[in-house]
Amino acid sequence: MNEIIGIIIAAIISWFNFVLIDTWMGLPEMPGVKGADVLGRDIKKRGGDLAGGFFQGNIVCSPDASAGTLLAAIGCYSIGTPEGGFIAATLVYIGNRLCADPGYAGTTGALTITVIIVATSFIGITPAMFIVGMLLAIVTIQGIYHSGSSKLLGKIAQRMGRYTKLT
Amino acid sequence: MINYIGYIIAIASAVILGLILRLPLLPEKPIRQSWTISVIFPTAVLAIGFTAIISKLGYHLIGYQEYLVALVIGVLTAIFSKFILERILPPPVQEEVS
Repeated sequence: MNEIIGIIIAAIISWFNFVLIDTWMGLPEMPGVKGADVLGRDIKKRGGDLAGGFFQGNIVCSPDASAGTLLAAIGCYSIGTPEGGFIAATLVYIGNRLCADPGYAGTTGALTITVIIVATSFIGITPAMFIVGMLLAIVTIQGIYHSGSSKLLGKIAQRMGRYTKLT
Repeated sequence: MINYIGYIIAIASAVILGLILRLPLLPEKPIRQSWTISVIFPTAVLAIGFTAIISKLGYHLIGYQEYLVALVIGVLTAIFSKFILERILPPPVQEEVS
């Protein structure tokens, strides 16, 4: 497959993989640690959404599905598919426990993207494309415009019944 | 290399021994906020990961040997989850809100 098209498809798949799993696992509901709370409230002060801010704070402060997705893609690239993804899931779980997080989002994200990488390898999308795609996906959330991305994340959280009850 | 049957053996042995060691099948609800170590999460996930690590060490296992290794990994993972995991990676201590 053409590299550019492959990267775009991988970016879209990775974006949905980590946003949906992180929201489902309740990242927008509450900050896991104090740092996530500070980030969430700071983003709200700058015109963003509080639940989206907590989501962004939580993925900065512990390895959630975003890190799981990226590390599983790196694992599959460097170690092999699917073993690299399984090893990444285990390491993400240990990292989660060290970061005061029970670890459901990170390991689920790593395992689902491993299954997706195995499935999409049949249409020619390589783990390397997923690494670049995931970097682009995380840039759209964390790197361009926090207020806008937090509002979008807040709306997704509302749709999935995971909006924060905190004020 | 350990094939997919090896992974299934590792998960099955970890789950069965985990249940014998009285680990709960699933954490209590809401699962996403629970710190309870259960048979499905993280024991089965760790069994897959440890099997993958051993598989990639590069030993040449012949025939039934890989299934035996997978069985041992599953057993050790269940023992690790029950007795060691909470000691080396404990849940965070909640701070008092003043």
